[in-house]
Amino acid sequence: MSRFKLWEHGVKAGLLSSLMTVLLSLMGIVEAFSQRQIVSGLLSMDYALLGTMVVFMGYVAAKRTSRTEPMWVVINSLTCGMITGGMLLLLILTGEAVNLRAVLVNASPALYKILGFGHGLEASPLLFVSGALCGLFAGISYLLPWAIRRTLIVSLVCVVGAGVLQDMIRPTLAAREVLAGFSEWVFSSNGLTEQSAAALFLLAAGITLFWSLKGKAVQAGFKALPGKGQKAVRWTGIAVLIMILLVLPQVLGLFLSEVVTIVGLYVLLGLGLNIVLGYAGLFDLGYVAFFAIGAYVTAVLTSPELGFFSLSFWAALPFAVVTGIFAGVLLGIPVLKMRGDYLAIATLGFGEIIRILVLSDWLRPWLGGAQGIGKIPKASVAGFEFGMPQEIYYLILAGCVLVIFFSLRLRDSRLGRAWKAVREDEDVAQAMGINLVATKLLAFGTGAGFSALSGAIFATKLTSVYPHSMNVMISINVVCIIIVGGMGSIPGVIVGAIALVGLPELLREFAEYRLFVYGLALVVMMLVKPEGLWPEAVRRREFHEEIEEVEPAASTVSASS
Amino acid sequence: MAILTARKSTKRFGGLVAVDELDLEVKEKTIHSIIGPNGAGKTTFFNCVTGFYRLEEGEIFLNGHSLLGLMPDQIVRLGIARTYQNIRLFPILTAMENVLVGLHCHLKANYFGILANLSSTRKEEEMAAEEASRLLKFVNLAGKGDSFAKNLPYGEQRRLEIARALATRPKLLLLDEPTAGMNPSETQTMMDFTLHLRDELGITILLIEHQMRVVMGISDTVTVLDYGKKIAEGTPDEIKRNPIVIEAYLGKGSAAETMGVAA
Repeated sequence: MSRFKLWEHGVKAGLLSSLMTVLLSLMGIVEAFSQRQIVSGLLSMDYALLGTMVVFMGYVAAKRTSRTEPMWVVINSLTCGMITGGMLLLLILTGEAVNLRAVLVNASPALYKILGFGHGLEASPLLFVSGALCGLFAGISYLLPWAIRRTLIVSLVCVVGAGVLQDMIRPTLAAREVLAGFSEWVFSSNGLTEQSAAALFLLAAGITLFWSLKGKAVQAGFKALPGKGQKAVRWTGIAVLIMILLVLPQVLGLFLSEVVTIVGLYVLLGLGLNIVLGYAGLFDLGYVAFFAIGAYVTAVLTSPELGFFSLSFWAALPFAVVTGIFAGVLLGIPVLKMRGDYLAIATLGFGEIIRILVLSDWLRPWLGGAQGIGKIPKASVAGFEFGMPQEIYYLILAGCVLVIFFSLRLRDSRLGRAWKAVREDEDVAQAMGINLVATKLLAFGTGAGFSALSGAIFATKLTSVYPHSMNVMISINVVCIIIVGGMGSIPGVIVGAIALVGLPELLREFAEYRLFVYGLALVVMMLVKPEGLWPEAVRRREFHEEIEEVEPAASTVSASS
Repeated sequence: MAILTARKSTKRFGGLVAVDELDLEVKEKTIHSIIGPNGAGKTTFFNCVTGFYRLEEGEIFLNGHSLLGLMPDQIVRLGIARTYQNIRLFPILTAMENVLVGLHCHLKANYFGILANLSSTRKEEEMAAEEASRLLKFVNLAGKGDSFAKNLPYGEQRRLEIARALATRPKLLLLDEPTAGMNPSETQTMMDFTLHLRDELGITILLIEHQMRVVMGISDTVTVLDYGKKIAEGTPDEIKRNPIVIEAYLGKGSAAETMGVAA
């Protein structure tokens, strides 16, 4: 038994990794991913996924080993890789012997062919050997110094990323005449060419290595600059960022701009829920309700189809936002005393009520029922119409900038602190003089207002609104964005929206497994990085310069009491 | 002059009478201790004063103002602040932010002032940060302002909680076992600090405490509760000699001297 201790973690990680790879195979993800080449003729996404899984678990095995001798570290991760290879082999053997397909739809011959590297059973030793190689790679990379390991990881991620996103990058490059030749060099008909993959790998490695060697010096250099210099550098950075954001849709083209606008709408929603959930800790699962209200108010006020008002988008927008805020406060009143799960359930109900109301025949003359409302006019400014995704982009960008600006102001204010205090401990917050009613209602109202803004832009973007686009999945998406991005973090919302909304839009293969990926992302985040992808930084604000005596404090307090 | 007056205050939980027709007068700028066995109703009384529990009968006055029916946030504005038996800081706010939350009710910026970042809002925030810094320094936490409250060691958390309470600029401070879990030298520091609050800042202190060394050492008046009823009141010396108190604490026939070491 004591000898088993030496292998224990390798075996455990191996079994886990087997479970995951077999699961991915049987769910059909491996097969779905096999269509996409990363490096043409060399590596496709299915192998990249399986390999990543094995290497990751092999790394975990190496890290957990009780022995620190390099030999045992490698043996553990090797064990992990071999077990996984063996189990996948077992899957093929079982599949050949028994017809698994009757129960498991995805256990197809195509899958076995992929797992057998295109040959099926004859390649069985190859599967075992490649599993072992992945394990070996994990073990060795664990033993390497951190700087080299990081270089390896970053470079590999860059290559895989470029390969995965080829459909977006290639047309962008090809559209520019100057870059067309370059594009042909980089991409073959499917995937990166071998020479460009190698070049990209080396480039990424070079930059990462340079940063690990010189990064400290660069940072120190920045710190050494006088206050004005630092400010100048910072403002230059912001100016560059603004320039990039302004020209982005022209560079990206139609399809990518469309994806960016969807991400942008979710960023708006996320920033709103960030106030309600991230700051004030109020678990609102009916958040889509305010999105729906924003969209429908815009539709009713602008659409000539209903023929009530036919206002312009800009005239309708304030009404949409104000109605959203009002609805947020109104919903807030009955749930003031509720906390946690109870609040989530109650608000979930509210979201459904709104959806069912707009769907109902009863309100059809006013809200269009199941057919929704169409012919919503596009927004325009001085003759410039926000029609194409590339143009709507600017509308959404403006909305995001405004909302980020408001979020920042609120976060650093007396109100932002009150929200966070309520999140941390409601009773104590009240005992510190915070009026719970006002504070919570302001959070609900602000969040709902942001959401309604998102809804209004959504309405003019699609020029029509339907009840079925206001479903509970939107609320759940937004909650996931906040949790994955980092509770209460503004950059976290943006990163979360890109990761959970942008990437699935880009990767068609994901579409079918979207919920699976969400679930997986949530579980992995909770285990590995519970604070989120980009957690909120602690604001440094204590005065560090010396305050002469203790006495002034005493006099201030006594004078004011 | 009495700053806090309780008249026939009664709080029941179902059939249990936690506070039973309690009459209490806390004189201004004194340290008034409440002692009694576990379950005597001390913390319940604190919760009644700060508005977390509603009294079934009786009334509590602050400077002649009735506190009946007021919410906890209204009561803190009138000048009563408290700390908790088991420390209740805002764990993932920084020490600085914890104190700033205490200042909340003295800041006036409203929603639109915040969004517009008016100069009055900015000035107010600066003043608040300055005052919070001073308060941190006052409780000897200078330099710790940027750490999360949950990451501070136990003793510092206790002091931070007091700083947060002081930030509300209280006239009356309710301390619920401030020396719980402290060693003798920390306890001594806390005693000196409490005296300092009374003498330098002129804050009246109502104290729940189990360590008799603290109670007898710094109190001006001691009230003894048992089963929600007041069984004795007086100066520390009177309480030490009171046979009813000794009986409630130690049972019949115990020597008065043992009171001094009971904790």
